[in-house]
Amino acid sequence: MTMDKTDTTFSKYRRYYQVLEPVLAKPKTRAYTMAIFSFLAVSLFGWYAIRPTIQTILYLRREITDKARINQQMEDKINALIEAEAAYQAAAPLLPLIGEAIPQAPDAVRVVLQLRNLTSALGSPLSGVQVPSTPILGAEASPGAKLQAPKLYDFPLTTILTGPYALTKSFLDETVSLRRIMSIESLKLVPSRDSGPTRTGTASGALLQLVLKLKAYYQ
Amino acid sequence: MEKDRDIFLVSIFTFLTIVSWIFFELVKTTKTTTVSPSVEKIVTPLNPTLDTEVLNALELRKTY
Repeated sequence: MTMDKTDTTFSKYRRYYQVLEPVLAKPKTRAYTMAIFSFLAVSLFGWYAIRPTIQTILYLRREITDKARINQQMEDKINALIEAEAAYQAAAPLLPLIGEAIPQAPDAVRVVLQLRNLTSALGSPLSGVQVPSTPILGAEASPGAKLQAPKLYDFPLTTILTGPYALTKSFLDETVSLRRIMSIESLKLVPSRDSGPTRTGTASGALLQLVLKLKAYYQ
Repeated sequence: MEKDRDIFLVSIFTFLTIVSWIFFELVKTTKTTTVSPSVEKIVTPLNPTLDTEVLNALELRKTY
């Protein structure tokens, strides 16, 4: 029974063999055919079998290298964070100074008080202080903006001081070295109208009027 | 015979194309990082030193 089936199959495809036989009989054709099929087989095998295998190997090797590097960098960062926390704890007592130097709100009244106290300490009251309209509270930062570097705002103020040259110089020096950060925008030094002939030529010298335009900063 | 040679050349070029394609794909696999950008951002180095010079300078400033 099996024998019969084989015979049937053979006879069915016999004519194909018969067609190929004379073609493959030529040695050159046979060589070409073998070479062509070999190249095609290697190409096919390379694309569908070798490529994915080597690609997986290389990907895994790369992943191992990357993971090792990330692990090392994570450890370095953890150590750096521990060191940074220690440094922060050490500097914690000094941190409120930042709030005093550049407060969260304009705090204009405090600035004026500081300048008034300064001039009182120097022995001459302020002739005048002008603060244009200034917001009482600072702008509320959005959650996203808190992560970014804080924005610096400022408001102008003008102080007028009358006194001898030494006093105005001391006032200028002390104003610049105040803890609350302020910058001098402009200053005008003119002889005071109060400095009459009686004041001129005294030990303290002629009276001068200092008009100082400042800029105070807040976050 | 001419036909055999043409098919042979086509098969050679196919073979060379596939070999170079595989080569470049493997090079790309080797060069491409497997770490996501978010992880790279997390592991950026951090300088733990705090510049306390400014704080010390602020401490020396006067307040009235």
